[in-house]
Amino acid sequence: MEKVIDVQHLRKSFGNNEVLKDIDFSVSKGEVVCIIGSSGSGKSTLLRCINLLETPTSGEIIYNGKNILDDKHNIYSYRTKLGMVFQQFNLFNNHNVLSNCTVGQIKVLKREKEEAEEIALKYLENVGMAQYINAMPRQLSGGQKQRVAIARALSMEPDVMLFDEPTSALDPETVGEVLKVMKDLAKSGLTMLVVTHEMGFAREVSDRVIFMDKGVIAEEGKPEEIFNNPKEKRTKEFLHRILSNN
Amino acid sequence: MSLKLMADIFINNWPMFMRGAGMTLLISMIGTIIGLVIGILVGIIRTIPVPEKGAKRTLLVIVNKLLSIYVEFFRGTPMIVQSMVIFYGTAQAFGIQMNRIMAGILIVSINTGAYMSEIVRGGIVSIDHGQFEASDAIGMNHMQTMINVVMPQVVRNILPATGNEFVINVKDTSVLNIISVTELFFQTKSIAGATFKFFEPYFIASIIYLIMTITITRVLRCIERRMDGPASFIMAGNQMQVERPEDIVYKKNKDR
Ligand SMILES: Nc1ncnc2c1ncn2[C@@H]1O[C@H](COP(=O)(O)OP(=O)(O)OP(=O)(O)O)[C@@H](O)[C@H]1O
Ligand SMILES: [Mg+2]
Repeated sequence: MEKVIDVQHLRKSFGNNEVLKDIDFSVSKGEVVCIIGSSGSGKSTLLRCINLLETPTSGEIIYNGKNILDDKHNIYSYRTKLGMVFQQFNLFNNHNVLSNCTVGQIKVLKREKEEAEEIALKYLENVGMAQYINAMPRQLSGGQKQRVAIARALSMEPDVMLFDEPTSALDPETVGEVLKVMKDLAKSGLTMLVVTHEMGFAREVSDRVIFMDKGVIAEEGKPEEIFNNPKEKRTKEFLHRILSNN
Repeated sequence: MSLKLMADIFINNWPMFMRGAGMTLLISMIGTIIGLVIGILVGIIRTIPVPEKGAKRTLLVIVNKLLSIYVEFFRGTPMIVQSMVIFYGTAQAFGIQMNRIMAGILIVSINTGAYMSEIVRGGIVSIDHGQFEASDAIGMNHMQTMINVVMPQVVRNILPATGNEFVINVKDTSVLNIISVTELFFQTKSIAGATFKFFEPYFIASIIYLIMTITITRVLRCIERRMDGPASFIMAGNQMQVERPEDIVYKKNKDR
């Protein structure tokens, strides 16, 4: 299958704390990959390295056959190809819902306002937030904010969507509405890379699950394999811990 | 001293008081606005991420150094002294005398700019880091992030501080009388000199200053509230349902 993103020998250190240790992995077109693992294992750092919110210490990130860590590469246009959804939503506080979804299209992709609004409305419709186009972020609930954040990322029409624990900051009642949106997206064939603590979601939706532990990929495979027959001892321990808590 | 005397002095000299007040307001308003612009520009430049190496790094480091010297210099010296240095300094250096009003605006602007730079920097630092990350993630560069996301929020947040600078400027333009700018204090001094009365003209001037500063504070409060927008929002789609049958009939008739 065609690889959208191919990460090779990726390392990242903060000072002398090596957080990612020689990571190799790739995401293929249309694939839904979930990353699980205990707190501090480097899941967010990996995701943030992929869209260069963190600068990797060494390694390669191949996108469209080119290593984006080469000096000459235009990181701004690369980032438009990756949609990012944050745990804390990070909607633009000074823009209303519609404008949150159009400002990137207009200013970065140089789309016309009308076209941008049409596209934004389409995705806001998909996440069930089209009625709220006039609302400011502070007027929305957490689940609504996160759905707008998803629409904002989708409006850029990226090749891959990155999600960093999109439901971790939500009230238990609103987790469902966001997961529902993400499930629909997964079914629609979108390429997704999702860091999550929602094991039910990972099991149900993903094509592949990656278990990270202390900066390495400890185990990866189909969700049935990982959840039903984990090979590694640490995977078993992690799953046991997290599933007995829920 | 009597109320009658006070009234007489005002009635006989009110055009001068008003012209002085107008000049004070003009210089302090333009000075505050230009100062805010300077502060925003300095703030944007000072927050450009410095690359690890290369010519751009050297340039940025030098520019940042110059900017902090600018801020330090103008915050650390009295405006009355700056006025003399700039007005007579340029006269000596270039052999030309600056227009006094222009000189006044220049001095107030760069002075306010120095203070606003620090205020803007504080404003930028206080913006949630997530706003920068979301801008980065969507592919914006530093300038786009600043213009579309950060500065609108900073300007809203520093509006009270800017209003404060404006009020300070209204009062502090009085030092410009040292270079004979015809602002309110200068005019009052002339009136006092002509009438040989001191308490009354200055008392009138103080009232005028007070009216100006209080008005500015009120107006800025209003602008702040306007910028915050309404507390509630209109659901899209519901607007359509608001259309009543009579509206549709009206529209049809209009089209014909
Ligand atoms: N900016 C930073 N500076 C220094 N250390 C950092 C920084 N960001 C992350 N770390 C460290 O890197 C390690 C991995 O962090 P990371 O956020 O990637 O973990 P995570 O797997 O996402 O955890 P969680 O499930 O809690 O979100 C942690 O030890 C953390 O302290
Ligand atoms: Mg994390």
